[in-house]
Amino acid sequence: MVSPILLIAVPLGLAFAIPVLGLASKRVPRYVPVIAMLFNLVVSVSLLPHALKAPIVVRTAGWAPPYSIHLVAGPLGVLLSSLIALIGLLVAVYGIDYIREGAKVKYQILYILMLVGATGVVLTGDIFNLFVFFEVLCISSYALVAYRGDSTGVEAGAKYLIQGAIGSGLVLIGIGLVYGTFGTLTMADIAANVSSVGSFRLFVSLAFLITGFGVEAAIFPLNGWLPDAHSSAPSSISAILSGIAIKAGLYAIARVVYTVYGASSILPFLAVLGIVTLLIGEMCAFGQEDIKRLLAFSSIGQMGLILFALALASATGISGAVFLIVSHGLAKALLFLASGYMIYRTGSRDISSLNGIGKRMPIMSLCFTVGAFSLIGLPPFVGFASKFTIVRAVLGTGSTFFITLLAIGLIGTVIEGAYFLRIVQGFYFKPAPEDSPEQTEGKVPFSALVPVGLLAVLILTIGLFPGIVGRVLGPAADDLLDRTAYVQHVMGD
Amino acid sequence: MRRLISLLLLLIVALGIFLCFSGASFGAEGASRAGKLTEDKVNFGRRYASRGLEENKAGNIVASVVVNYRGFDTLGEVTVLFIAAVGLAAILHARREEATPSKAEPASLIVFTGCRFLFPLILLLGAYIFIHGHLTPGGGFQGGAVVASGFLLIYLGCRGRGLRSAGVAVAESLSGLAFLAVALVGLAVGGSFLLNFLPKGSAFALFSGGVIPLIYVAIGFKVGSELGGIIDNLSGEAR
Repeated sequence: MVSPILLIAVPLGLAFAIPVLGLASKRVPRYVPVIAMLFNLVVSVSLLPHALKAPIVVRTAGWAPPYSIHLVAGPLGVLLSSLIALIGLLVAVYGIDYIREGAKVKYQILYILMLVGATGVVLTGDIFNLFVFFEVLCISSYALVAYRGDSTGVEAGAKYLIQGAIGSGLVLIGIGLVYGTFGTLTMADIAANVSSVGSFRLFVSLAFLITGFGVEAAIFPLNGWLPDAHSSAPSSISAILSGIAIKAGLYAIARVVYTVYGASSILPFLAVLGIVTLLIGEMCAFGQEDIKRLLAFSSIGQMGLILFALALASATGISGAVFLIVSHGLAKALLFLASGYMIYRTGSRDISSLNGIGKRMPIMSLCFTVGAFSLIGLPPFVGFASKFTIVRAVLGTGSTFFITLLAIGLIGTVIEGAYFLRIVQGFYFKPAPEDSPEQTEGKVPFSALVPVGLLAVLILTIGLFPGIVGRVLGPAADDLLDRTAYVQHVMGD
Repeated sequence: MRRLISLLLLLIVALGIFLCFSGASFGAEGASRAGKLTEDKVNFGRRYASRGLEENKAGNIVASVVVNYRGFDTLGEVTVLFIAAVGLAAILHARREEATPSKAEPASLIVFTGCRFLFPLILLLGAYIFIHGHLTPGGGFQGGAVVASGFLLIYLGCRGRGLRSAGVAVAESLSGLAFLAVALVGLAVGGSFLLNFLPKGSAFALFSGGVIPLIYVAIGFKVGSELGGIIDNLSGEAR
């Protein structure tokens, strides 16, 4: 068995090596992210069977927890790191030809490091180390949002930087309080001792942590940065930000609330926040005329639904949430990647300029349609399976509170259906705008068709055979819910 | 009225923060007050202080914590600094192409000569700080920052001279890779990332502490070249 720490060390080493490689050859650096993510995908998938048996606890520096930092590669962590590596790999292939201007070598470095940060967040077992990897993820995203260096990009990056930095500051205060109270930073050690401390101090530190991580997770009302950041970044980066980065924030919240604090009393509040986020995201998306802003607002809506499902506190609910993380990651990455070349082709981000594109870019439009249908939750795509799991979980709780919230939340899905169907209708049934200039640079290269096509195939395949992912979802939910087992695995006895 | 309300809200927040921080006593008392926590099991501040010297043989216990016990965090922090430097360069790149270079006025002879005289001494001080990081206060980050301040002086005093960007790239790449390589050798030899696998020697000697001085030297080079690169980028902007 390979040590899970290589999932972080190897891509990090490749990223460190890029400046030297870039001096040797101008062409080599663009292939490095592909190699790094391919390595991560192979290792993550090969670790999955081991992680399903028992979480793999990796020590650093040779000391047992809590004296040193350790990684916990449980079912949830390895599932998410596989998802990160998969989407990261496909987007890296897409990025080979998509990134045409700017400091290309530096783009590849930041791209790898962003994914290293996300992988570290889902694998670590130490709350301060979680913060460090969270910073790695966030700071590289700030830079990549502003990558183009134009005024909208820099403005969006600066907004993101300010809000993200405040969020990180709150997280740090929360961790400081936790360390002051418990004298330890190991999550399992805190979880074992959490019942011995008064609830007021716990509540304050938990509030700091949830608010801080909530900025990155784009929970209402902390999501003001998201529409600008996700729409002004290069499309490949938008795909990662929407597909992976915001989920890392949500994972951190879930890990802290469930495993570390075991705070079930805060869950109804989170469920309400989730539904509010869902409705606001979808309603804002409905009014958008800019395709990337629309996709960004739709991400906010989906994050709300995931948060709601996480707050159900039942094994089915969390399975549904993790399933939705997977399906939304695939679908939203597909949509951003496909729209990237459509924007190159039409030279505009207006939805109306995309009318009639179904004839000019048949494959991209077909894949976009698959992604959109999956997000709405139409069978036989994977979005249906994940949303259905959530509905089943809510009905399974039998609580009027959650069923009412779900009923309100379903309005969001209807709105979602309305705006996505409007776009797809425009693709196929509306004539192209007359004055549309044909941009020659919009010719879709092979390196873009492959990842987009593969994502569409994955969405369809997992939709038809949900068991591929389904086997891992149950253990992943237990990984989050079963605190005693988690503590036992990490601390030994 | 609005000012009054915001003042009131601020007071409530301040009271809340005061209440929870006044209860939290960091370190030893915090652990014992939490009741269930037995001292050695959880209070690792005290444990590091009592056993760290014997376990790592590094005279500066902070170095032992930063590079060994919590070395994985340090790797992350070095990465954060690297990201900041690379990200800044990436964003400035787009503007660099548009900017027209303007001629800078040369510094006076006194400043010019003073900078050239001080520069090697500053480098020496920085190197001293990170080479002795495991013995005396300071370490890779501090030493690297001192080294970078030497380059800042050159930019201020000797206009038009400075780091070559290829040199910066090689230095930051190789030093980062050296850190990782030492950590990975620990994984290969003893099965644990960042393991202190070298003979530790006797405490307070220059050659002691196992891998700690090696990693600190790598961090010193990395921090120095990254901060130097940031200065280079920003002064290119001003030039």
